[in-house]
Amino acid sequence: MSNDDEMVGYRQQPGKLPFSRPGSGGKNQFSELRDIQLIPESQGGKKHQPKGDHRHDPLISGTSIGKSTALVDSKWKVTGKANYGDDIRLSNELIGKIVRSPHHYARVLSIDISKAVELEGVIAIATGADAQNSFGVLPVTKDEHAMAIEKTRHKGDLVACVAAIDEITALEAVRLIEVEYEVLDSIHDMRKGLDDSEYPIHDRGQYHIGESNVQKRVFQEFGNIGEMIPNSVANHKSNWLFAGVNHGFTEPHAVVADWDPSGRLTLYTPQQVPHYVHRALADVLEIPMHQINVYRTFVGGGFGGKSDPFPHEMCAAILARKSGRPVRITFDREEVFWVNRGRHPSRIEMDIHADSDGRLCGVQTDALIDGGAFASFGHVTTYYNGVLHTAPYELGAFHYTGARVWTNKPASGAMRGHGAVNSRCAVEVGLDDIAEQLSVDPITLRLANLLPPFSATITGFRITSIGMRECLEKVKKASNWDKKFRQLPLGHGIGIGCGFFISGSGLPIHWDPNKFPHATVHLKIDMDGGVTIHTGAADIGQGSDTVVAQSVAEVLGLPLDMIRVRSRETDTSPVDLGSYSSRVTFMNANAAISAAMEIRKDLLKAASIITETEIEKLVIGDRRIFDKQDPAIGVSYLEALHKAQEDRGALTSSGSYRTPPMGRAHKGAAAGLAPAYSFSAYVAEVKVDMETGQTKVLEVWAAHDCGKALNPLSVKGQIIGSCHMGLGQVLSEEMKYSRGGDLLNPDLLDYKIPSIHEMPKVNPIIVESNDLEGPFGAKEAGEGPLLPILPAVCNAVYDASGIRVNELPITGDRLYKEIEKKCKILKISNPLNLPNPSLIHSDLQTVLESRASKHSERDLERILSEEKTPYHNGALFGMNPEVPGDEQDSRWEIRVIPDDQYLSNPRLAGSAWRHVERRKRND
Amino acid sequence: MKMPPFKLHTPSTLDEAFEIVKELRRQNLDYDWIAGGTDLIPNYKWHINTKSDVISLSKIEDLHKISKNHIGAMARLYDISRSPEIHPLIAKSASLVASVMIRRSATLGGNICLDTRCFWFNQSEEWRESIDYCHKCDCGTGADCRVIPNQNTLCVATYQADMAPVLMGLGATIYLASPKGTRSVLIKDFFKLDGITKNILLEDELVTHITFPDDVFEWEGDYQKLTQRDSWDFPEAGVAVLWKKGDKGPSDLRVATTGIESIPRFHSEETQKIIESWSGSDSVEELAESIRKSVKPVLNTWFQPSYRRKMVKVLSRRASKGLLEI
Repeated sequence: MSNDDEMVGYRQQPGKLPFSRPGSGGKNQFSELRDIQLIPESQGGKKHQPKGDHRHDPLISGTSIGKSTALVDSKWKVTGKANYGDDIRLSNELIGKIVRSPHHYARVLSIDISKAVELEGVIAIATGADAQNSFGVLPVTKDEHAMAIEKTRHKGDLVACVAAIDEITALEAVRLIEVEYEVLDSIHDMRKGLDDSEYPIHDRGQYHIGESNVQKRVFQEFGNIGEMIPNSVANHKSNWLFAGVNHGFTEPHAVVADWDPSGRLTLYTPQQVPHYVHRALADVLEIPMHQINVYRTFVGGGFGGKSDPFPHEMCAAILARKSGRPVRITFDREEVFWVNRGRHPSRIEMDIHADSDGRLCGVQTDALIDGGAFASFGHVTTYYNGVLHTAPYELGAFHYTGARVWTNKPASGAMRGHGAVNSRCAVEVGLDDIAEQLSVDPITLRLANLLPPFSATITGFRITSIGMRECLEKVKKASNWDKKFRQLPLGHGIGIGCGFFISGSGLPIHWDPNKFPHATVHLKIDMDGGVTIHTGAADIGQGSDTVVAQSVAEVLGLPLDMIRVRSRETDTSPVDLGSYSSRVTFMNANAAISAAMEIRKDLLKAASIITETEIEKLVIGDRRIFDKQDPAIGVSYLEALHKAQEDRGALTSSGSYRTPPMGRAHKGAAAGLAPAYSFSAYVAEVKVDMETGQTKVLEVWAAHDCGKALNPLSVKGQIIGSCHMGLGQVLSEEMKYSRGGDLLNPDLLDYKIPSIHEMPKVNPIIVESNDLEGPFGAKEAGEGPLLPILPAVCNAVYDASGIRVNELPITGDRLYKEIEKKCKILKISNPLNLPNPSLIHSDLQTVLESRASKHSERDLERILSEEKTPYHNGALFGMNPEVPGDEQDSRWEIRVIPDDQYLSNPRLAGSAWRHVERRKRND
Repeated sequence: MKMPPFKLHTPSTLDEAFEIVKELRRQNLDYDWIAGGTDLIPNYKWHINTKSDVISLSKIEDLHKISKNHIGAMARLYDISRSPEIHPLIAKSASLVASVMIRRSATLGGNICLDTRCFWFNQSEEWRESIDYCHKCDCGTGADCRVIPNQNTLCVATYQADMAPVLMGLGATIYLASPKGTRSVLIKDFFKLDGITKNILLEDELVTHITFPDDVFEWEGDYQKLTQRDSWDFPEAGVAVLWKKGDKGPSDLRVATTGIESIPRFHSEETQKIIESWSGSDSVEELAESIRKSVKPVLNTWFQPSYRRKMVKVLSRRASKGLLEI
């Protein structure tokens, strides 16, 4: 055993064994150096980067980034080892059940729990009186309570809750609780929410908008509104009705609350945003945040539906505190629909105008959205319905009026593609119509109107990378568009749709981004060489654990199995804003990279000392640090690590991410700001049965610009999954209400999520625009890919049938009604004899083609040039690109309050502005 | 969602089953027969008409038999859909039911006796309580119908099973048994009245099997159904058109519909007129129109009733396609 070279330290005692080396692990102890195909050319590798270099290029070790990888938690899931919310079993647990309102809107007069208390096995009962403080996901609209304080606001609203020794007893106790109600007149039609009401669903005091049920209203005018209509030669106008949809995730909500003997609460919950629950629990339970540990279980799908702090989470904590035992509440599917937070039912009026040059001289949108009984994310949704369709096109003017009203329905909230999906569908269908009116190809029309890279939208959003053009070109080619569009027989069609989405909301809801970062990641490496990542980013199945692991693995040149992610508990993870607004990859991976760079610096320094080579000459490969010119000179990762650990023990580091300063100063300017935006273009091919109105999607070509695919497998999965979800909304999913406002289908038989039979072949196409600020160039891929499928299908239905739909979902009965109408107008008895649309290009087509090709050159130049000259929306209309429109021309003035002239004839949602906020009234 | 607890009995012969029935009746207990359970169990989970005891028929060997003119009530729809012996139209109807997982469990008898469905009925107990229940399951409240209030005492819940129309068209006979003995009727006479009564089954009676007449293989035809999705969904309308080939057109013609009204319907009046004055495609159009006119769906399922009615015409026309090739 004696080896004089090894580990002979000054404390070595004579006769003792030498200090042992920490294990380097198994047979596979030799590294594979670097995968040269993944290393950028600028770094001596073979990866060609047509979009130029990236600031993270020197960190590429050729190990993990860009490789298709199974998610790091996938083995837990496929072997059944993953513990979801309802899998948490604590000893001595009680089962909690909720007493729900049977009325749409009622005053709670009394709650008699005397009979339920008597029932054997009932341990605790709680009512609204036990937790009076309000909460809500947005600090500006905290309008929820654990249980009803005075009124119940929708059928299924929480009134009381029970903890008992088993489910049967808890259910029986629920039956025994007698609640006396005074039923109030309820509102179910969102249009009624605009009127004054005797009992508005909420009372916001002096901030209440008149006596109405308007929760939020937005008015915005950008650009040259005056010339929008006089200059136009093509005008599209449509009134849309979108049904509300639910996320339809697999795992229903489930929560376990447990108070430990020291008086601390641990809440086990499948949450997308543990930090907000953490805050809300502290408010509602009136205990400091440090007394609470929120433990995120595996999440069986979130899609936005698990991002609010929920009343049932409060109930579990209250019951556990009262009973002194752990309490578990698991929803059945009906309860999932009561808590909802799905996409808003919406009425959207969309007007689009184009001038004789085929430029989009104006977009006028009016969106009335049905918020249901609570605010949830609605404040933001109201803005998103407008501002998120001000790109990727350059606009001459943009006018938006939006309003969100309370109705006596389960609350709407954030759902994949938050606030952008419905109005995007309306815009893209409108563009199809504009192209038809101008007799040009709709893809060419789009290509000739795109904003360039490094530009600003009409609302002042900072666009960095933009892969829209490439997306459009790729789907056009892959789908064989030119051979199919307007050339397929009746009942068979093809359509295009585009999308634009934020890659991380620029404004953290709870703090000033200038003072506190958006995301923080901690790293710890001990003797074993494995890296422990502490992050608060919630893996909800989208793969955020994998992304952060890949990022760290790449920078340190390690295989993924040497990385372990600890992201479950607020006790151990740094605060993270959570998994919403597609922020995690962009923000958290950036934070992880900067944390890993700290460690990397330490390792390189240590290796430099051992090898006596300058740091600048060293590179990191797979578990080895070596001289770039002479790879024989180098040390193993472990050797360098142990050198770096001398005198200090385990290496630790912290990295964070904050957004750069962005945006303009008008009211609402922060809504829709993001450090980067994703772009996508889909082509869908459909068959419409003209005799039944039933639509079948045959194939989809789906191109998405995600900046850089860190894990192509995962990006493709997100694209295909988004297609499925969007297809549900466009073809069959809707929350169906009876005339009296009863939700008729709170179950997965009648809430019709597409089955495998409805799922077309989806061809995912990844476009990499290499975002300079994104981690390794990446942007989001989780929400944006949903947007284009809706309009692509609508436009394909038009190509197939000549029917311009304006109501979703396009179920057979809805489409058939339109087919019948058209037959009647054209006096054709058999729908199989209806004419289908045709296209003969006008002269404008070549004008647009040449503009598109010029713009294509312009875009590439802008990407590759070192100096990014400013480009503000408006240049296409002859404005100076260096300055925002409103700063050079008074006609482009930004307005956020309607004038009397507008109010004399407002649009639907715009009429919300007729009310005067209470504090501004003279009385 | 918790099912109320029940006691499960698993007799291995019919006689044993009827002994259990007699014993339960002596104890004043109520029970349900359970075949595949794909309809009963979801209803139990919703606390719809739950009973203290459930008698499973799955261990009774005799009820599983499939041959060319006999199908046991407990034959699984999956097995029926793949059976080479039986009439291909029966196999086709079976193959269109719900999803493959349901078909693996669901049975012919269960499908024939499927409970009628309605948006106001197939809901959880809490949900039904919030609308003060409905006529079909009033829980002792004497509640009115929620689809057509103040109209009559009949229930308009919809019969949404796929097997009945083809069986009716093929002239099948259905065999029933109870502790009091056995009886049989033509399946077209099995269904009765409304969404509550549904069929002629008496207390303690069950379906044992169906048989087909000797001429069964002389019948040709098609079954067409309307659903939102190609899987899972109950039919929103279903039409079976069957015919015997004659020299110039069909020598005999039968049409039956399902998924539109409270019981499946055998349309003898409409077909009689057509067969008497057969004139090819015009007759098909006339037939389809007359079937459309004769059905009266209500608003209690996924699609609008006016649409379902119009689609009956399209389905009739499509199911008749083979008629024009005679």
